[in-house]
Amino acid sequence: MNRVAQYLGRDKELTVLTTTTIVVTLVLYALLGQRIFSLAGMQSMSIQVTEFGLLALAMGLAMLTGGIDLSIVAAAGLAGLMSALVMSGQIIPLTGDNHGVLLVLGVVVALVTGLLTGLLNGLIIAKLSVPPILATLGTMIFYTGIGMAITKGNAVGIVVPEFARVVSVAVGPAPLVFILLVLAFVAVGFILKKTRFGRRMYLFGENDVALRFSGARTERTIILTYMLIGLVVGVAAIIIIARANSMRVGFGESYLLQTILAVVLAGFNPFGGKGRIVSLGIALVLLQVLSTAMTAFAFSPYAKNLVWGALLLLVMTMTHYVLRGRRAPKIKTPVDMTGGREAPTGTVRTADKALLTQ
Amino acid sequence: MKRTPFQMAFHRRMTAMEKTLLAIIVLYVGFVALRSATFLSAATFFDLARSGAAITILALGVLIVFVSGGIDVSFPAVAIVSGYSAVLISRALGVDNLMFITLSAITIGALLGSVNALLIHFYRLPTLIVTLGTASVFHGAMAILLGMKTYTRADVPKSMLDFGGARLFTLDINGSQVGLTVFVPVVVAVGVLTWFLLYRTRIGRSVYAMGSNEESASRIGMGLLKTRLFVYMYVGGLSGLAGIVYFSNLAYINPAALIGTELAVIAAVVIGGAKLTGGEGTILGTLLGVVLWQLFQNTLIHLGLDSSFNDLFFGGVLILILGFIYYRQRQANKRALVFAAS
Repeated sequence: MNRVAQYLGRDKELTVLTTTTIVVTLVLYALLGQRIFSLAGMQSMSIQVTEFGLLALAMGLAMLTGGIDLSIVAAAGLAGLMSALVMSGQIIPLTGDNHGVLLVLGVVVALVTGLLTGLLNGLIIAKLSVPPILATLGTMIFYTGIGMAITKGNAVGIVVPEFARVVSVAVGPAPLVFILLVLAFVAVGFILKKTRFGRRMYLFGENDVALRFSGARTERTIILTYMLIGLVVGVAAIIIIARANSMRVGFGESYLLQTILAVVLAGFNPFGGKGRIVSLGIALVLLQVLSTAMTAFAFSPYAKNLVWGALLLLVMTMTHYVLRGRRAPKIKTPVDMTGGREAPTGTVRTADKALLTQ
Repeated sequence: MKRTPFQMAFHRRMTAMEKTLLAIIVLYVGFVALRSATFLSAATFFDLARSGAAITILALGVLIVFVSGGIDVSFPAVAIVSGYSAVLISRALGVDNLMFITLSAITIGALLGSVNALLIHFYRLPTLIVTLGTASVFHGAMAILLGMKTYTRADVPKSMLDFGGARLFTLDINGSQVGLTVFVPVVVAVGVLTWFLLYRTRIGRSVYAMGSNEESASRIGMGLLKTRLFVYMYVGGLSGLAGIVYFSNLAYINPAALIGTELAVIAAVVIGGAKLTGGEGTILGTLLGVVLWQLFQNTLIHLGLDSSFNDLFFGGVLILILGFIYYRQRQANKRALVFAAS
């Protein structure tokens, strides 16, 4: 029993989050029962969570390094558009036997576009030292602009018939795209935990100057981070266009708030250096269950937004109280070596890094 | 030393950012004027002034938040919520008075702003995430409590219609009447007030101080809570005013309007040289940024390009300018051996 308590106490936020998720799910199950928790309901939920989950993963990676990526939804839109254009038959006409080629080409184009958007973000942030929030604000407008200039705001339909079927393929009871999401989470989790690059992402978020002075090439870490984000966004784009079987500029703009909510809910520190992929997965479960339940209760989009916003504020203030007790013992009074002539530095807590770097 | 007319008027030199922006605007206007004969006319500029008024007021509010070292994305929600509820109050009470409507909008806006300030101050939360949350909460609460009914011209309070239609003076050009809107003096007044508060009052100086270094500001005895309350309530108040100006201009009250423009307005302010790290930013730069954005929004048509190219141009220029500003800072930091990215 003691060991269980110890295990649960190791990551209090994760424990709280998991408990909340279980309680909320049980309450909603009691209220709604088979209406949303049937096999078909679970399947449609797991498909819905996929595109959002990948975008949240991308946002989480940015937050690990103490940044934020406002351009993810726009980049996913652009990658989706490029891919949809390839598969729309407008550039390469569809003949009887090139379905497979077009499909592969469409997937590759989405991934490459995603990577390129990430590369541009990374270069602007690392090489020009533009703060991530402003750099990605600029690229967000820019990527939307590229998509708008190409399509004039019209939807691009996909004519490769096999492509939409990707969504309905299932492995056993689980849809293929959901397995893709799980794989993406495992892969990113592996990179973060087991590779040098992944550890450096955490260290960069914790203290970028210290990381640089320890001999790491921090600029490369940042560029790689945003390229990884771009790749994840590219995968998200594929799933988005497969679900809708078409793409238009301005898709999913409301996702931006929700991805930040998911990441903060999962206990990621917006100032960097802290966050677990497992927690993000559980936060996604909670959000998806809530979202489906709100749809079942026929909430208006505004009411949904209200709930998301209130939840975001609630989580942030709760985290403040949870962390407050933890931070206090860290302050130490340095030994006064000037014989009292000068006030020793650090006797008064310097302003939170948070407030200086935001 | 010879003083330029600019220095005589403003008692400072033009910043590099303002020069760059001014050059881009002059070049762009010159280019468009060469391509299109109808562009350089009073009508175009009066039209730009009318449609850009509300955005300019919002941008001045955003500037103050930037100077204080924060970022606010809730201002369109605050503008809509305060403007919409002020109109509803006026309709419910039957008081059709512009002063009353505007004052209630400003009061509601300032109250909503104080919510932001308190959350940011007491919970030490990142300003972006707080305001993202409050924006959804404010707008969602309005939708639930007051509904989302739109009001067309017939139902808009008459005083607002008069305000939106009033002209400072009217020119008769080739038989068509073009007039300069009364929004212009309102915007100028807001600009002067913002300038006065920022540069000539103690609270305004503490906004700059807090943005430059919060710890230092607090140690020399500036109240951080007071400063934050001032910043966010001022932004809220300006947003309320902007909401009324916006609705008056359109003569159509749509509670879903403006939402989603926050990042574009912030981009316009950023292009004007305000820095996210706080303590920097000028009113002139902000105005130039808004002008550049409005030009891209409204005049591409004169170049034979349709409006789909707005974002492409604006985004491209924004990235270039951001790269330019921060690359210079990076070089300066390198020379001064400053390692923290601050």
